[in-house]
Amino acid sequence: MKEKPVEKSESVGMPGGLIPVEHWRVPETSVRRSLKDSFRHALAQIGAGVVTDKETFESLDNLPELSVEQLESFAPRPDFLELAGTLSGALEESMSNDLVCHGVTLLVAPPFSGIRPTLECFPQIESQHNGGAKQWSLIVPPENLLLDDQGAREWWDRQDLSRPWVIPELADFWLRHLSGLTLVRELLRRVAAGGLAPGVIGCSSWCWQFWSSYLDDAPFAPVTTSPMGAAELGAWFESLAGGGSNKLIIARMADDGLWVLPMADESDWKKRKHSGFLRDLASVARGNPGVALAIWRRALRVRPEEETDTKESGEVSGNSGGVARVWVVPFDQLGLPTVPQSKGDNIGLLLHALLLHDGLDISSLQLVTGVAEHEMGFVLARLARLELIEFEATDASWRITAHGYPSIRRHLQSWGFPVDAF
Amino acid sequence: MGDLGIREAFSAITSQALLESLLVVLLATGLTIAIQKLFPRIAGKLGGKPRLYILASVPLLRLVIIVLTIIIVVPILVEPSFENMVAIFGALGLALGFAFKDYANSLIAGIVTLYEMPYRPGDWIEVDGQYGEVRSIGTRAAELVTPDDTVVVIPHSKLWASLIANANDGTDNLMCVAEFNLEPHHDVSRVMSLLRDVAYTCPLTRTFRPVVVVVSNKPWGMCYRLKAYPVELKDQFRFISELTAKGANALASEGVSFVSVPVAGTR
Repeated sequence: MKEKPVEKSESVGMPGGLIPVEHWRVPETSVRRSLKDSFRHALAQIGAGVVTDKETFESLDNLPELSVEQLESFAPRPDFLELAGTLSGALEESMSNDLVCHGVTLLVAPPFSGIRPTLECFPQIESQHNGGAKQWSLIVPPENLLLDDQGAREWWDRQDLSRPWVIPELADFWLRHLSGLTLVRELLRRVAAGGLAPGVIGCSSWCWQFWSSYLDDAPFAPVTTSPMGAAELGAWFESLAGGGSNKLIIARMADDGLWVLPMADESDWKKRKHSGFLRDLASVARGNPGVALAIWRRALRVRPEEETDTKESGEVSGNSGGVARVWVVPFDQLGLPTVPQSKGDNIGLLLHALLLHDGLDISSLQLVTGVAEHEMGFVLARLARLELIEFEATDASWRITAHGYPSIRRHLQSWGFPVDAF
Repeated sequence: MGDLGIREAFSAITSQALLESLLVVLLATGLTIAIQKLFPRIAGKLGGKPRLYILASVPLLRLVIIVLTIIIVVPILVEPSFENMVAIFGALGLALGFAFKDYANSLIAGIVTLYEMPYRPGDWIEVDGQYGEVRSIGTRAAELVTPDDTVVVIPHSKLWASLIANANDGTDNLMCVAEFNLEPHHDVSRVMSLLRDVAYTCPLTRTFRPVVVVVSNKPWGMCYRLKAYPVELKDQFRFISELTAKGANALASEGVSFVSVPVAGTR
């Protein structure tokens, strides 16, 4: 299959458009940052068990954090409906670039890159643009994922795959259990056989790591979103803070006052000294926009005097005359959560299972890991205290947190677990 | 040269030279002990390749320290002239050749071990029927810890004549095999596919390494060998147990039975 970049989109939310998975590269970083990260990781491992009673997350700086309103104003979450429109355009391009298997696009992306919520918006955008003529059919998984081959065939027979269809997250359709593989196996068999209407399968990179190993001869050419480097992240953060208007955000380092945003341009590079924060952020987040945004939101601070001023006036702090001013905590003082070292393997097993399935409830977690329920309770509580995982009441599932993901990925890799390619 | 020139070689030794060389030897010994204690501790806290690299560096560092100590101490004690060197090493060779032949044999094999690296600390090896993890590589012998927590001391001289099987060969990949002896008259391809799924669904499996099912026909039925790699080397026995237990359950649900007659000695 021919491999070439699909599209060079001008979209801020999806710079670079879609690319074949093999073309993905981690953003460049400074040698200093690489050495620092490696040293910290080694220290964290060697220091196992040294600090056991003080594991709760704490920030290492003493500047006031942003309120919820401020966060939503300065670093809001992206508009996934808008992203869905951009992605839809990029997918149409990919369909004409030999990057689909019998009309079906496999979109593989690391966790938190926003593919799931974007694909979940697909039925809305198509109905808006095409008056319902080419409305996407959203395929949702059954309650019970433990089916035999016959059961899986019958379930897929009942799904409407005769018109454009979309699966926001393939990881929802399987469990790492002997009876939990049938639905995905049957779907991928049907896709490979052809004859289905055009479709899009969103798939977590961890889930795809498993299935690409399991189906080593599978004729799929997955595409992914381009990684975001420092420049792309800067532009994205500016556009998010702007919220579609001309609002400007000014972000400077809290320790030395170097500029983070607005990004440097040719006209002012002599006047302002810019910090390497965004480059470090892109590297730590491995180009993953969701992870970068989560860390960015955690790094923003307001000036103490501004906080007191706005408490009195009732305005959103740091926001005056269409210009938002914020301070950015240096990486070293950010204190991102790190994975604890443990004598047992349960922490690794649970974290890996949560990533493979993009979140699981307790019973499914027990089914796929084989960890006893009482042990699991202890481990989950510990990981939640460290802000590495969180419980989502809407579907009663445990999920990895975006700001804990870099540490989790690194530790799983050093423990020998299969990790994704991103 | 009735005494091989040893007396002349050591005639210039003063008490100060002896003290200096003793100090150097003590320092070197202290450093070696510190490395031998500290490095395995650090390695124990790390996983994967870093652990193996740190463990493998211990004997190499010790060798470097020994060589450096000799290089420093000899000129302190004797004048390093050609005659003196011939005298000292000649006498040393004679002593080792006659009195400590086996010991010298192991010492030399120990140096060869560091160069050829048939096993390193952290490797899982089998020598003369003893399987276990190499805990340390000493000057004369290597220490092996068996799965039953028994320490086996293996002289390096075994290197010359014994077959040494290394299961992971310095890497963190170690293939494990779970064996299933089943009664005949079943769907072989179905069982092979089932056993493959057993390995892939085991949470301890390294899915980026190959999973292979091999079947052979035996007088008592069909012998299946499920081969896969565990996440960590130390998990190998737990991994094999899980594969066996999960495989047995899956086969039972498919109505495939294990052979019920003893098979020992018939292969």
